[in-house]
Amino acid sequence: MTDIRILLVDDEPDIRAVVDVSLGLDPEFRTRACASGADALVMAAQWSPSLILLDVMMPVMDGPATLANLRKDPRTAYIPVLFLTARTQIGEIEHFVSLGAQGVLAKPFDPMTLAARVRSHLPLPAGRHAS
Amino acid sequence: MLSEQSSYPAELTHVDCMSAAEKYLAERSVDIILLDPGLPDAQGLGAIRRAHAAAPRVPLVVLTGLDDESLAEQALQEGAQDYLIKGQIETRGILRALRYATERKRLEWLKDEFVSTVSHELRTPLTSISGSLGLLMGNAAGNLPAPMARLLAIAYTNSQRLVRLVNDILDIEKMEAGRVIFNFRRVEVRSLVEQAIEANRGFAEGYGVRIRLDARTAAADVRADPDRLLQVVTNLLSNAIKFSPRDNEVVVAIDKGTDMVRLTVRDHGPGIPIDFKPLVFEKFAQADARDARQKGGTGLGLSIAKQIVDRLSGEVGFADAPGGGTIFHVQLPCWDHVANLTIDRDAKPDAVRVLLCEDDLDTALNLREHLRRIGLATDFAYSVSDALASAAATQYRAILVDIHLPDGDGISLIVRLREMPQYRDTSIIVVSADPGRGRDDLRSSKLNVLDWLNKPIDFDRLMRTLAKSVVHDPSRRPRILHVDDDNDVARALSEIADVVTVNSIEAAQRALKAGDFDLAVLDVALAKTASPDLLPELRDSKGNVIPVVVFSAKGADLASDAQEQAMLAKSHSSIDSLVAAVRDRLASRSAGVSREIA
Repeated sequence: MTDIRILLVDDEPDIRAVVDVSLGLDPEFRTRACASGADALVMAAQWSPSLILLDVMMPVMDGPATLANLRKDPRTAYIPVLFLTARTQIGEIEHFVSLGAQGVLAKPFDPMTLAARVRSHLPLPAGRHAS
Repeated sequence: MLSEQSSYPAELTHVDCMSAAEKYLAERSVDIILLDPGLPDAQGLGAIRRAHAAAPRVPLVVLTGLDDESLAEQALQEGAQDYLIKGQIETRGILRALRYATERKRLEWLKDEFVSTVSHELRTPLTSISGSLGLLMGNAAGNLPAPMARLLAIAYTNSQRLVRLVNDILDIEKMEAGRVIFNFRRVEVRSLVEQAIEANRGFAEGYGVRIRLDARTAAADVRADPDRLLQVVTNLLSNAIKFSPRDNEVVVAIDKGTDMVRLTVRDHGPGIPIDFKPLVFEKFAQADARDARQKGGTGLGLSIAKQIVDRLSGEVGFADAPGGGTIFHVQLPCWDHVANLTIDRDAKPDAVRVLLCEDDLDTALNLREHLRRIGLATDFAYSVSDALASAAATQYRAILVDIHLPDGDGISLIVRLREMPQYRDTSIIVVSADPGRGRDDLRSSKLNVLDWLNKPIDFDRLMRTLAKSVVHDPSRRPRILHVDDDNDVARALSEIADVVTVNSIEAAQRALKAGDFDLAVLDVALAKTASPDLLPELRDSKGNVIPVVVFSAKGADLASDAQEQAMLAKSHSSIDSLVAAVRDRLASRSAGVSREIA
């Protein structure tokens, strides 16, 4: 059984800590975190996470810009991305999904069910993939 | 009056109807709107709502001859900054009022921006706090000594309350800015209410209150957004629970009327103080300032409920309950009633039928009203599946599609309509509330969409587009523009032609913009006063002069200036002679056409 790698990108250290513990409730999850879009691009290319949890409002390179850059790099283009955002109006969710995100998780989230919700967005288990 | 006042550094633009105002506001920005709510196409509160919706960020001042206190109060609630009465205020007073209105609106806007920013900013620390507490409660609480576990529970409960408060503030802010999308569908009220009661049972127990569904409650279907309606019922329930004394009950009942379903929530609380009654649905309103803390409420629940019910085309209110307490009620349109409205039954049986795919009932009714003026019958489809079923059952000459529909988007609907052989070339017009999603959408480029209109709808443009594409047909009945208010004449003329009857020059000008006519029938009095304004405009879309028959019920002679117009025929003083003259005119029109062909 392989670990499921989750890369968390959020500029708030406290939120990174809470998400880390919440995702830790699922024993298969291994979480790494970084604080900026630029770091996320490097880490995603090197570590090949199974899924990226991406904060929308970050300084310098925000969530949508980070996603666009991830899609440009063949090493990261296929990695599913979930946005994590305090702004969750219906139109905005549609907008984020149209950018190529897998889905949107609202802040504040329920920490006890966060891992299960992230899991529901994961691609099919590796064994079922052709590659 | 204002334009004469040189000390007021303003540029004044005057429009004479709401659709012109909406069009103007869609294209240009203004600093202030001065509105007389007695327009040919919008009156009273409806006019105020439309003006406010067309430019929610622009201060709106009502200037009217109507000294009506209740309208004034409602006007201010609907977003107007001031309500001025003509004759009671001088020019200088108006100018001062305009300056104050601008300043008030600016502060209101700053406040809204502030609320929005603060609410979003609050969510970030709240996410950390409620997240941490939630994890502790979920994992560690069982291992803590009782006093600490209790403190942890208090911190956790209150962080959840703060989350609800921030959500409420954001909800109301979004609702006021018109940014909430409603997904209308058929909703069974009884099971929705049972669901709300179940969800609030724990909350009620905390207050020592029972919730009961009245035994006479019937099953009833309404047209609503189920999530939003659940929010309304929850807010009414939690309000009733908070104001009930211990060991009392809150009773919910549902009554089905012919057109509306009425939902009531009765409490046995202290009742609403008389001087608080006008403020019940205001934001942050609490009868007693201490209530907010004592009752654990936000002061926003009822305000949110009212905003939602308004958008559901319903009505919310309250009354003192016999024997003490308060009864809140919500009335919503019955599903059957709304379903009955889908066919335009008031239109003439031979009117050209168009299909409007739009899920907002008020918008749909408003559009039907407009399209009737150019002689169209408008059937409604509230969803993609309704639209496909109606389009298959009836052959429509044009289809209007709202981009947002509850069960799919308008573009996919158009794709599927174009796949139906009978709709391959039919005129389709898109109506969109979202300017961000334009016609450049890859999928929409090949769909042969006739026009793409953003909301608020520019009715002039819509009617022109429809008239050009739909009303033209070589085998059609002749069309007469009848400028008069005499129903007998209209009835007689409709025997031989499609008649559009209007009773003002403005309405006639609108009708002319919207469609081609073969003949105009004018009352002599109108012909006299209108000739300089109307006669030059009596041309069809190709620029051909439309012949005019002047009719006088009193047998009066024509005005000499009207006679100078070569196109005028002689005056006719009985309906029979008028119909005969119209027949002649129409016959010579056809003859003219056939000669041209020969």
